[in-house]
Amino acid sequence: MKLPLLVEIPWAASFIVQLALCGILVAFGHFRRLPFFTAYVCLNVGQGLLLYVVFRRYGESSHAAFLAGWWSEAITLLARVFATVEILHLVLSAYRGIWGLAWRLLAGTSAVVTVCLVLASWGNPSQALMNADRGFNLIFATALISCLALIRYYLIRVENAYKVLLAGFCFYACVKILLNTVLYDFLYHQRVRYPFTWQMLVVASYLIVLIVWSAALLRPLPEKKKQQSLPTSMYGRISPEINLQLQAINRQLMNFFKIEEPQQ
Amino acid sequence: MNYSAAVFASLALLLLLAFAWLALSGTRGKAEVVRDGRQDGDYPHISHLPQIKQALLNSDFTYLTGRGYPALAKRIRKERRRIALSYLACLRIEFEKLLQLARMVAVMSPNVAVAQEIQGLQLNLEFSYRYYLIYFRLVSGVAPLEAIGSLSNLVSGLTIRMETAMSELGERAALGAELLPHNGGGLDAGG
Repeated sequence: MKLPLLVEIPWAASFIVQLALCGILVAFGHFRRLPFFTAYVCLNVGQGLLLYVVFRRYGESSHAAFLAGWWSEAITLLARVFATVEILHLVLSAYRGIWGLAWRLLAGTSAVVTVCLVLASWGNPSQALMNADRGFNLIFATALISCLALIRYYLIRVENAYKVLLAGFCFYACVKILLNTVLYDFLYHQRVRYPFTWQMLVVASYLIVLIVWSAALLRPLPEKKKQQSLPTSMYGRISPEINLQLQAINRQLMNFFKIEEPQQ
Repeated sequence: MNYSAAVFASLALLLLLAFAWLALSGTRGKAEVVRDGRQDGDYPHISHLPQIKQALLNSDFTYLTGRGYPALAKRIRKERRRIALSYLACLRIEFEKLLQLARMVAVMSPNVAVAQEIQGLQLNLEFSYRYYLIYFRLVSGVAPLEAIGSLSNLVSGLTIRMETAMSELGERAALGAELLPHNGGGLDAGG
């Protein structure tokens, strides 16, 4: 079965860019610093090859294509989680306290969003896989954006290469949620158009991410800096004091209104 | 579009917007505030405090009204409001300096207490809420002049307390002065 040209072109382009990205990761030695990210890109190359062969041989609506598609998707999604945590760790490993806070935030956000999604999808088994994929991307994007917000809140500098990699993951997850939701709702019943449109748009958005990643990784990765730290006891002494001061200011602001009310 | 699809699509759009905001909004300005605060540690409004307090005294306003100068009284009322607003702005700057000092200490610490950090964030949100509430009341003229006068006392007390706290904390965190080669951070601050 031949795939439409509009699907084949972005698919072929993304395959070529993924191979180029693999080459960059190896040639610049990034695979040493980013082993999980490298594995993620390689798994995506493998997934692309596998699906291309299966789709051409059995057709994209066949049971074989269904199994190959969802199983390979599950594996690459898992690899994406590892790759993202790896990059976040590289960004925050110099700040041990904040890294401790970040992984708690990642775990907490993921747990809360998972519970919400399970409750929202309860009693709808026909769309279980679609909900799972969309839900995963939602959990992933929420957890990642929470971590990026944490990084911003503490004014931590993120090196350009890592920034681009994280931004790519985030953008792709958000676009996939949108496509899975909007396209499914509008086009699913027109069965001829839905799979091709979905594939074309997903592959095209991934292609954009791949190009940006490749451009960012064309330079050597920044050296790991050892961050000096304060003695452990200092945080315990200073932080509560600052919070007390902040609390005092808030109390004063509150009192400001309490003072004026009887006088009105 | 059904209800669940609308919710998912809205969530995705919200996440995209949050991501765009994180990627595009600047943070260097805030870092500069911290540096300024820690290096010079002076509060320009402190030196003018007696004059500002005098300008906010209610007696001037009642005197002018009693003497039959309503236009002048009105102008003075406006000016007093402006003074109160600039005080509020100073208060906000000092709150932010203290908050950023707390963040810097957390960034430099090998162990960070979740409860302390959540409390800091909560206080920040509380402050922002109250700040804007008072701000809009002052701008709209709902707050009475007595309240503006009490704001003066509030700020003067706080300024002195903050100065003491900042210098004390600054001394303790003196180590940190050399420990922060970065702190121009955020998603937009890299390479």
